[in-house]
Amino acid sequence: MDTIKGIYNAVIEGKVEEASSGVQAALDSGTGVNDILNNALIAAMDLVGERFGEGEIFIPQVLWSAKAMQAGMDLLKPRFAPSDHAATGRVVIGTAKGDIHDIGKNLVAIMLEGAGFEVVDLGVDVPPERFVEKALEEKAQVIAMSALLTTTMQSMGEVVSRLKEKNLSHVKVLIGGAPVDQAFCEEIGADAYGMDAVDGVRKVKGLLGR
Amino acid sequence: MIATIPRDDVLKQIGYKTPPEEKLLHLLDEMLELGREYLDPLMRFEEIDGSRDLPLFLHGAALSYVALASIGPGLEGRVKEFFDSGRATEGYLLDTVGSVAVMHVGNALWAKMMEDAALRGFIKGLRRAPGCEGVPMEVQKWIVEKFHDPHPGIHVTPSCMLVPRKSFAFLGRFGGNLKSAFSCKGCPQFSGCTLRSENL
Repeated sequence: MDTIKGIYNAVIEGKVEEASSGVQAALDSGTGVNDILNNALIAAMDLVGERFGEGEIFIPQVLWSAKAMQAGMDLLKPRFAPSDHAATGRVVIGTAKGDIHDIGKNLVAIMLEGAGFEVVDLGVDVPPERFVEKALEEKAQVIAMSALLTTTMQSMGEVVSRLKEKNLSHVKVLIGGAPVDQAFCEEIGADAYGMDAVDGVRKVKGLLGR
Repeated sequence: MIATIPRDDVLKQIGYKTPPEEKLLHLLDEMLELGREYLDPLMRFEEIDGSRDLPLFLHGAALSYVALASIGPGLEGRVKEFFDSGRATEGYLLDTVGSVAVMHVGNALWAKMMEDAALRGFIKGLRRAPGCEGVPMEVQKWIVEKFHDPHPGIHVTPSCMLVPRKSFAFLGRFGGNLKSAFSCKGCPQFSGCTLRSENL
């Protein structure tokens, strides 16, 4: 089996050590960083995402795959050209003000990192102004917010309003969580709604044209 | 009460309809075992009598209750440790174990409430939690405040979240103009729920 195929399979099967050793072997043999990234790691996670979307696999297996991908990415990142690194994107993520649930947010953060994004995790109960300040400070392209209750999702709209007030419409907003849907996304003027963690990553990629 | 948390319930909650690979089952069994160590169930209910600010769901009931169920704060602390240390799969599985456990605690509490109501001659009852149809999230605060003990073991945040997180509050009603038995219809998770019995 060639090295690329081996890494690809290791990520799909969530085998962290095999993915890591495969990437190292590929680098040692002179395989290009972009070849490993696109044809092994990203291609594998794309298939994992598809399988999740089809209900063939579920979150635990996706997390294993994301961890395997992350292990490979850790070896690739130091070798990225500066332009490659900037191209992956930076996401500021957190749970909406008043909300202390973090599992969904954590899953999205892990999968975004696995997909190569830099993630700045603000934690839970994050005030709207904090999202905007941090996005500016970190030069993030995306703010991702999660809420579990109808009482806490309203603050997401405030983040969108603040971005508009500050003429920061280039910062895209992704929302998700149990009470949130596409209609609410449109109502508050957010850029995308992620119905689950995998869809969230897909939407971030879409927002950034990846 | 919840000496065992059924593995199948956790798998169903995650979405599995058929058993997953052995590696995952083994890890889940570890998390079930760990989860049991952290369970500190709390089950409380009180009768509501003569309140003037009853939620709509309780209007017309002959006998009304407020209820609080929780598994305590220990498990969610361990979940956080897993996530913080990069062991997300373990964290997710343990969190799901906690979600299933609190549901079982809630069901056990509902059974106790029905026993209490039966002693008073009421057989049919309904329960409903804040967030369900006709019960706004703000009722969460109302429920906690109705307990005579000002520290019932669960508190509510200004945005109506219960702490510990693996807790839930509900209302129970018996008698009056009650026409149907308990049903999951009206729950915001109804369409996507993986645990609902077919007859609910």
